[in-house]
Amino acid sequence: MSKQKVETELRGIINLCKAVTSGGVEPFDVDVDYILSVIRKYYPELQDVKDFCTDASALKELSNVLQRQNDWIQYKSTTLYKDPFLLNQQILRMEISSIAEAFLKSWHPVVEMEQLSAKTLAGSLGYWADLIPFGERWKEPELQLVDAEIATLEDAKMLGFLLEEGFNELLEAFWSELGKKVGEEGKIEYWDWIGADTYDETIRRSYLTVFLVSYGYAEIQIDRFSETIEITRNKIQKSNPSKSKLSIPTLVDYEEWRRWRKE
Amino acid sequence: MAKRVRSEAMYSNKLRDAVHLLFFQHHRLPGVRGWELKQELGPEWQSVLEVLDKQLQPLDLKVMRVFDDPNIVDPDSTHLADARFYITLRGSIDQKTAKTIGWRVDDIAGLAVAIAYIISKQGKSPRIEVEKMLQEKLPGWRVKMNVDRYIQQGYLGEDDKGILYLDWRSRAEVDQKQLVDLIINFGKKGTPVVTEKNDIDE
Repeated sequence: MSKQKVETELRGIINLCKAVTSGGVEPFDVDVDYILSVIRKYYPELQDVKDFCTDASALKELSNVLQRQNDWIQYKSTTLYKDPFLLNQQILRMEISSIAEAFLKSWHPVVEMEQLSAKTLAGSLGYWADLIPFGERWKEPELQLVDAEIATLEDAKMLGFLLEEGFNELLEAFWSELGKKVGEEGKIEYWDWIGADTYDETIRRSYLTVFLVSYGYAEIQIDRFSETIEITRNKIQKSNPSKSKLSIPTLVDYEEWRRWRKE
Repeated sequence: MAKRVRSEAMYSNKLRDAVHLLFFQHHRLPGVRGWELKQELGPEWQSVLEVLDKQLQPLDLKVMRVFDDPNIVDPDSTHLADARFYITLRGSIDQKTAKTIGWRVDDIAGLAVAIAYIISKQGKSPRIEVEKMLQEKLPGWRVKMNVDRYIQQGYLGEDDKGILYLDWRSRAEVDQKQLVDLIINFGKKGTPVVTEKNDIDE
């Protein structure tokens, strides 16, 4: 038997099985036993790796057909199954308006709303007013030659580029402050802890609190039902690097701060 | 007493949050996943949705859930977390209203035929076969255009081999069993009324 004939026959089987998988041919229109006998018949004729690969592909596609036949039986046992031939005949028999009527009875469109409101419009107008004109944003920066000077560590600290003390010392001082504020209960409401007289200071405290929690100096608990967030002070630092970390986003925006100040 | 009032206020806040999540589109496609609702509404998110569904009933709206796998009958918590939730019309609309929202009667009929045909083919069929079916009732030049429109609107999907399948909008909006039953029973007296299977108050 010629090598080319074997190749053609196996390719034919692969294409037929692929047509079943794509829905072009009904799964039970394929005689699996017959196809298997054809694959078996040509097996002794296979000569090289390419032939064996084609043979393996044919078997794989045939197994997909069997899968499709299994799905088909399962589908036929469901209440959704209706004979495709009967369904097609009914569609051909029905007037367009009757088909449309049937569809409308079973159609429940999704309700979608656009988010634009007076509030978002006002916000957008504010943004527009603050937006720097395009020409200015793309303007080439004007560079000026200045005399460079050397700054000392003290100068950098004075200018606010460097902290007065180390970050660890800062964090430990913050932890001690937490200890004084939480009292005997050992916990404090989040905003009562981070809230300060100025918004800038509130942000700074919120930022440091993130490190207090991350480094195990304190814990944060959120009760979504009562919408409360509490900070619990750990008496000793609980550092556990192997423990999985969970990010808890907390909103510290200006409006929220103002509301807290009024309260 | 004060505790109960506080609890009621919290529940009404949850309902409000659920409305914001479900009515307004947050992603490219409408609908919110179960895990997103759980994240925002807390562990009792399903109870919140049930209450919302009851409150939407007089407005002829309902909370609808759609699973990625349409064969799921008895969903577990993972299925519910992955399910997509929508607000849909509870009842149905008439042809006159459908026209006012931009649907011609033959566009609707074409969509019905395409969906019913794909259902009868176990959920997928080559585009060429669907188009052939539509050409029985629609002018040829409209067929291709309509199929493209159904794909664009999310009712049908098409893979790179030209196979059509039911996309998210068909699964969310169309009661497939009712549609097929109505077509099959067309012309018979006493056509049965079939109820939706994925109502959340089931």
